[in-house]
Order: sequence, then structure tokens, then C-alpha cells
Amino acid sequence: MRKFNKAVTGILILFGIFSCVEEGQQIPKGEFERGILVMNEGAFGANDGEVYHYDPITGLIKSNIFEGKNGRPFAGLIQDMVEAEGRLYLVANTGKVEVVDPRDFSSKGAVIEGLDISRSIVTANQKLFVADWGPYDPNFNSPNSYVAVINNLDGGVITKKIPVSSRPEKMFVSGNQIFVAAKAGKKLEVISVDSETITSSQDLEGSPGGFFDLSGTLLLYAYDAEMIYFHQIDKTTGTIQGILPVGLKKATSNFTLSVDGEMLIITSTGWPDYNDAIARVSIVNRQVLNEAIFTGSGFYGIGYHPGLKEIYVGDNNGFQGNGTVIILDQNGQQKKTFAAGRGPSGFLIKE
Amino acid sequence: MVWLFVLYQGLIFQNTTVFFESKAEDAVQTILDKTSLIHDEGDTLLLQEVEVFTTSLSKYSFGQHIKVIRAGELLDFQGLGLSDFLQQRTGLFVRQYGAGMLASLTMRGTSAGHNAVFWNGLPINSPSLGQTDFSILPIGGFDELHLHFGSGGALYGTDAIGGAVHLNSKLKFGQGHSFQLGTQLGSFGRWNQQVQYGFSSDKISLRTRVYKNVADNDFPYQNLSKPDTPVEKQEHAAFHQVGASQDAAFQISTNQLLSSSLWYNQTEREIQPVIGSNTLDKQMDKNLRWVMDYFMFSKNKTWNFKTGLVKDQIEFNGIQNSTHQIFLIGDLDWEISPKINSKSGVRFSYIKGSLSTYNAQEKRVELYQSTNFNLSENLHVSLNIRQLIFDSNFAPFTPSLGTEWVILSNEVQKLKLNTNGARSFKVPTLNDRFWEPGGNPDLFPESSWSAELGLSHLWKRGSLMMNQQLTYYQMWVDNWIIWLPKGSIWSPENIREVHNKGIEYFFDADYIMGNWTLEIQGNYNWTRAINQTNISDNDRSSGNQLPYTPVHKFQTLSGIKRGIWNTYLNYQFTGSRFVGTDNQDRLPSYQLWDWGIRMGEIKTAWVNGNIGFQVNNIMNTAYQVMRLRAMPGRNYQINIQIKL
Repeated sequence: MRKFNKAVTGILILFGIFSCVEEGQQIPKGEFERGILVMNEGAFGANDGEVYHYDPITGLIKSNIFEGKNGRPFAGLIQDMVEAEGRLYLVANTGKVEVVDPRDFSSKGAVIEGLDISRSIVTANQKLFVADWGPYDPNFNSPNSYVAVINNLDGGVITKKIPVSSRPEKMFVSGNQIFVAAKAGKKLEVISVDSETITSSQDLEGSPGGFFDLSGTLLLYAYDAEMIYFHQIDKTTGTIQGILPVGLKKATSNFTLSVDGEMLIITSTGWPDYNDAIARVSIVNRQVLNEAIFTGSGFYGIGYHPGLKEIYVGDNNGFQGNGTVIILDQNGQQKKTFAAGRGPSGFLIKE
Repeated sequence: MVWLFVLYQGLIFQNTTVFFESKAEDAVQTILDKTSLIHDEGDTLLLQEVEVFTTSLSKYSFGQHIKVIRAGELLDFQGLGLSDFLQQRTGLFVRQYGAGMLASLTMRGTSAGHNAVFWNGLPINSPSLGQTDFSILPIGGFDELHLHFGSGGALYGTDAIGGAVHLNSKLKFGQGHSFQLGTQLGSFGRWNQQVQYGFSSDKISLRTRVYKNVADNDFPYQNLSKPDTPVEKQEHAAFHQVGASQDAAFQISTNQLLSSSLWYNQTEREIQPVIGSNTLDKQMDKNLRWVMDYFMFSKNKTWNFKTGLVKDQIEFNGIQNSTHQIFLIGDLDWEISPKINSKSGVRFSYIKGSLSTYNAQEKRVELYQSTNFNLSENLHVSLNIRQLIFDSNFAPFTPSLGTEWVILSNEVQKLKLNTNGARSFKVPTLNDRFWEPGGNPDLFPESSWSAELGLSHLWKRGSLMMNQQLTYYQMWVDNWIIWLPKGSIWSPENIREVHNKGIEYFFDADYIMGNWTLEIQGNYNWTRAINQTNISDNDRSSGNQLPYTPVHKFQTLSGIKRGIWNTYLNYQFTGSRFVGTDNQDRLPSYQLWDWGIRMGEIKTAWVNGNIGFQVNNIMNTAYQVMRLRAMPGRNYQINIQIKL
């Protein structure tokens, strides 16, 4: 009988343990795992970059979610917001990377020493790679740009700085290679993840805006005053196989992929007229489908929600105060707006 | 050198004090009556001390409040920036971007460029920036401070929309030789040193000042940008300032006076980065100012011819921007009858800017007329008009009308009702119009209309004296210039309209009880500055308080004096400030306490002196005037002043 009781007790304990494990695996969704994260760059000299959360179902907006969770301001200008390896990385061009839990934005770590003007981040081989312009020279050029390597996904100290061409912006990881697009140097450079050295460097057409993968093909979007360019890159060799030009004037670095091999690009006449527009471009057909599906001024960032088929446009409101996000339907018709932070410049859309 | 000649005289003077009214006729009388200045007392020649004549700022400003701050009140701030004094001792709010860093003044809810700043009657706002950095105007570079609250365009010209600040040198005749040494030592590497030598007889007055003010500003602060917000030492915020001034006055004849002042001020600063940034910017400011006044007095007229030069150079990270201003001013102050006083004048300004992206020059002519009507013993009216023309463009015609009515006056109390209505303007700055790229040459001057109503009450009974003043104002500012981004280029536009209203309250009381004197003074400002404009459909600025404009600011100082000792406790409360025009985010209010003690006028056979000790921010409050700009916690200062 005693053996029986022990056996029953043992079974119950085991059952309990497995029950706990079972329940432990059902981790509740974090507050910010769904919806739209709005990256607000912040104003120059004010370091008031922040992240807002917008729930497209309920319409609820939660402001300053970094400060709200961590009890301190972000205190930087946010240039990039990347989710990878179960973490969310916030890159400040004031020389800082904050690592937060994407579920609730609680701080997991940071890179706070050794960066200068950091622009973007990727992860590879359980390491962080941060593109940084490096310090300005007396003429405000950036001759000492680099990609910083941190051997810990939660941040920490920089173990190596890989010199790259002037003003690296966006990066893309493919296998053992990191592709780096340098804006001032107008170069595409490839870094070997293993050796942490540059293995190739090629000239670019236009100023690079960013990489994206379209049906398995790696493309780099670039632009100048008259044209936009799609650089087709061989992921294996790292070489530019071809450059596909499309006749779109006054394009900016702000773009997002939409559907059916199309992308949306913010164009701007700049000073003095300062008329902004959103152009719709077919990448596959190399064709401008509509030069201006929506017009205005102060457009500062763009995103696309494939599930809701909505376009999100950040309006900086002249940086006099906080910005506004304009929600458009797929045809560019304004549906609604909501208040964002200072200089809404990017979106991370989680369905 | 005149100096050597004067020194050779080697006369021994002993100072006595005579109160000197700054009215023209009194000045004439005083200057004319030489014999009254000199008394022979045995072997020693005694001269009476007489202030060198300067024009009265308050004469044509009936209906408005001008607060005069004399040298004694500035003593504890020797070598510090004027911004520190204004922030700690007045109801005005100064936007300070760190300790010793850029500090701009807001008066009645207007912007940094909406107050005119004068040094000995010369406008010294930068013509390229349109404002003054109050952190680099050292206390000790001038003797007296006048704060004109409210619109002063008709009296002072461009910029005086919210008010005006006047820094004046006050020379004296009849003081003999004097040597003064002032030292201030303080926390965070603060060392202010001033040396002054002067000589004055009944005809000539000369004074030379040299100063050096330095601070490391390596105060501890909480670095909010890092995980766990560690306390760190502020880096890259050192302040180094040197300067010299030379003042001179010469009584040419019994009815003519010539005076001149020269001031060179050089400030080298590491620009304190905003929390979270690692910038290493450096700025060097070089300011040269020179003014010369010629006065000619007759029975009921005073002629004043003034000329001067203001040269400013800013070198930011090696990039130079410089401006020159030359002024020629002439006016006649005339007592037409016992009931009517008149001042008519013309000011010519030549402005040249050599900036990193453009060169520009401009000529301005302005005509002004001020008239006082003394309608009765108890009712006085000031009517002022001014028209400025800049490069063939007419600035708004600027009138003002103010009245002062003494409602009640007896031995115990005096009650006055003040009213004023005025228009003011601001000519767009050189940068606004000519900066490349982005400058907008088609900008209109900013303009404002204001109205105010005030009561002032003086009450005196026995040893108690109480003075208070309450003012309510409204102001409408239009064509307010805002720089807006046009892609990557920013450009200014006449876009904003603002409606300001507020209350200013001043209180000052003294009570003498035997050997003790109790003193309390306070200032309270309630300021509403409501933006009336949205710059776009999505903008949410309209109807909101302007950024960094606290609705409430309160300051009070309580002091006790006994013999050579005096001690005080100062308190200031600054209300919360919105960070942006949409009023979504705000900085919290803060309260600061300062305490000081001074042992004054210690006299020995050869040396007079005083020594003071202050503790600022006693509670070690962590606060930010501007968001993420660290400010020092508790800090200490010792002031020593020696006079020979």
C-alpha cells in the first residue's frame, strides 16, 4: 500500500511537473508582440527619440514605451529598429544600441561605449554588427567609418571595428556574409562573418537606401535626383550582377515593400517647394505605376501592413512638436491619422 | 596717457555720498556747480561723490514697470553669467542649456529673440541670431541692470516685444583713487577673478576692469541614457572667459560731458552635450563693444549724441561667423513746459554680417519721438512713436501710450494705477533672410500689440516698508518667424500667431527692528502663451502653450541683516514646461533653495572688504531646465572683495 501511495505520489508529482512545463511553454503574448511599433527618430539636439505602439485593431496608442517600461528616457536619436534573435535592437545615432525584450520592452542590455554615429544593426553568428559612420573630421566628413562587432547578443563591449567605406547605412546578412552599403563612399562591401574582414568592395549607382529580398533575390535599392536603381546581388559570390534603373525623380531613402513585387517610395522636391509624394513602383516590371498616390509635406517614414493592406506614413509636423502617422489604404486614400512621437521615421509591423 | 597724468596728481580723496537725481536739469545743476563738489576740510580735500550723468530709462515709460538692480544685489553673482542671476533672483525664465551654456531669456511668454538687450544704450542683440546669450554676459562687466517688463518697441526699437534688458556702466566723479579686487571660488572648478582700478576727480572719471572667469563644470549627474542610470561626472562642459573694460567720463565744460566705455569679452566653451550624446563641440565668442556719448546741457534741454560699435564673432568648431554694427544716435530731450517733456531722436545703424554661408550688409534708420504729459500732479502720460526703415522696407509703425495715475498718496501709502498699450516689432535677422541655403528674403517683421493694467502700492509705517506691484497683460504676436524643415534644408516663415496673457507680481518689504533689518522680496509670473496656428493639417499645436514656457514661476528671497552681517535664503519654483508645441510631453517642475551669508564692509585703516559664502541648490535637487541638459547639484561658493 505504501509503495502504491509512493507510486501515486510520484505520478502526481511528475504530472505536476509536466503540467508546469506544459503551461510554461504557453508564454502569454507580450504587449508589443502584435501591432505596429512606430520608430520616432527624435529631434536633433534634443535626443527625444522614442517608440510608440499602435494597435490597428483597437486603435489604441501607447506612447514612449521605452521610457514607460524602463523608467528612463531613451535619450538618443533612433536610426534603426531591428528584431532578431528574440530581441529588439534600437540603434541611436548618438552612439548607442539598446537591447530590449520585444514582448514588453524591458531592457536586456546595451552597447554604450565606443560607438560614434551608429546607423544600423544586424546579427550573425551570435554576434552584433553595428554600422557606424565614425567620428566626423573637421570638415564634417566621415573618413573613419566602421562596422563594430560585439560578441554578445545582449550588448556589451566592442571587440573589433572593421573599417568600411564612408558612411555605412543599411546591412544585410546572408549565410556567412554581411553586405554593407556605404552612402558617402557609394560602395557595396562584403564582410566575412568568420574572419570579420572585408572580402570585396564594389561601386554603387546612386545613394543606397536599403536591401531587401524579393523571391529569393537580394536587391539593393538606391536613388539619385533623376532615377532609382535596383542592384541585383549574387548572395553567394557577393557580386553585383546587374543594375536595374527606373525613371523616378526626387526619390528619397524612405521605402517599403508592399505586395506583388511592388514598393512604395517617398519622393520629395526638397527646398524650396517641398512637395512630398508617395510613388508606387513595380520592381519586377521596372516601372513607375503611380508617381503620387498620396501627396503632402513632412513625410519622414513609411511602412506597409500586408494583412490590413494599409500604408503607414510618418509626418514630422515640421519638428515643432510630435509627429503624426497617416494611414492610407492601398490606393493612397487617407483612412485616419494618429499621434506619434518626434519625427516618426519607421515602422515595425507585426501581424 | 591720460591715466599717467591722473595718477601723477596723487590727490587723496575721501568719499561721501550724495544722492543724485538723473534728471537732466539736476545734472546740469550738479555739473555746473563745481564749488558744491569740493570742500576744504583742513589739510584734506574732500570731494562729493556724484554719478556721471546717463539718460533715464524710465522717464518716458509711464504705465510700465522697470526693475532696477544695483551693484549691491549683484555682488553674490560676481563673475557668473547674467543668466544665473535672472534665473535665481527674478520671476523671469531663462532657457539654460546646461551650466554656463547657451541661455536665452523669455519675457512674457515670448521667444529668445523677443527681448531687446542694451549695453549703455547700444543694442547688442546679435543681428545674425537676433538674440543674446545671457550666459556669456558676466556679472561684473557692468554695474547696473534695468529690466523693462513688457512691450518697448516705441522706446527701444526692434526686438523689444516681451521686454528689454539694459546693462549700464555707472561711473562716479569725485572718488579719487580706488582699487578693487574680487575673487569667487566655487565647486566644480569655479574661479572668478576681477581686478579694477579707478580714478576720478570732479572733472574726470576713469576705470579699468580686467576679469577672468573659469569653471570646469565637472559636476556629478545621473546619466539617464545608460542602463541603471549611473552617476557620472559631466564631461566636456568647461567654461573659460576673459575680458576687460575701460570706462571714462570727462566734463568738458560746465555744460558739456563726454563719456565712453569699451568692453571686450571672450568666452571659450566646451559645449555640454545633451545627455546621451557624445558630441565634442567647442565655441569661442568674442565680443567687442564701444560707446561714446556727448551730452550738452542747457536750462531745459539736453542734447545727446551717441556713437558706438558692436562687433561679435562666434567660432563654432572652427567655423567663423562675425557681425559688425555701427551706430550713430542723436536726440534732444526738452522740457517744453512744466507739463510737457519731449525727446526727439534719430538712430542710424549700419550692420554687416560675414557668416560662413553668406555676406550681407544693411542700413537702418529710425526716427523716434517720446512725449510726457504731466496732466496733473497725479496723472502722467507717456506717448511714444517710432518708425524704423531697414533697406527701404518699413517696419511696422510703433506707437505706445502709457499712463500713471496716483490714486492715493499720503504719508503712509501710495497707490498707483498703470496702463499701457503698445505695438512692437522685430526685424527678421540676417540669418532669417540670407542664410544659404534656406534664408527667406521675403519675410515680414514680426509684430505685436499689447495692453497692460497694473497697480503698484507703497506702504510705509514706522520701520516697516512694503512695496508691491501687480500687472495683468495681454499680447498678440503675429508673423512670428519659425524655421521649418523643407526636406534636408530648413527655412524660416512668418507662420505663427501667438496670444499671450499673464500676471506679474512683485513684492518687496523691509522691517527694521533695532539693529536688525528683515527683508523679504518675491516675484511671481503666471504666463500663458497660446499658439494660435497649425502649420499643417496634421499639426496639433493650435491652442497649446508654447514649449519651454512655464506657466508658473515663483521666486522669493528672505534676508536678515545685523551690523556687518547679513544672511539670506532664496527659493525658486519653476513650473512644468512642455517640450513640444503639441503639449504631449513635459518636463517636471522643480524647486531650488539657496542660502548665503555675507560679512560686509570690514574696514581697516587701508582696506575695506567683504566676504560671502553661498550654498546653491541646498537640497541637491536633480533638475533639468531644458530636457536632458544636466544641471549641477549642491554647490558652494566663496566671494571675497577687497577695496583699497
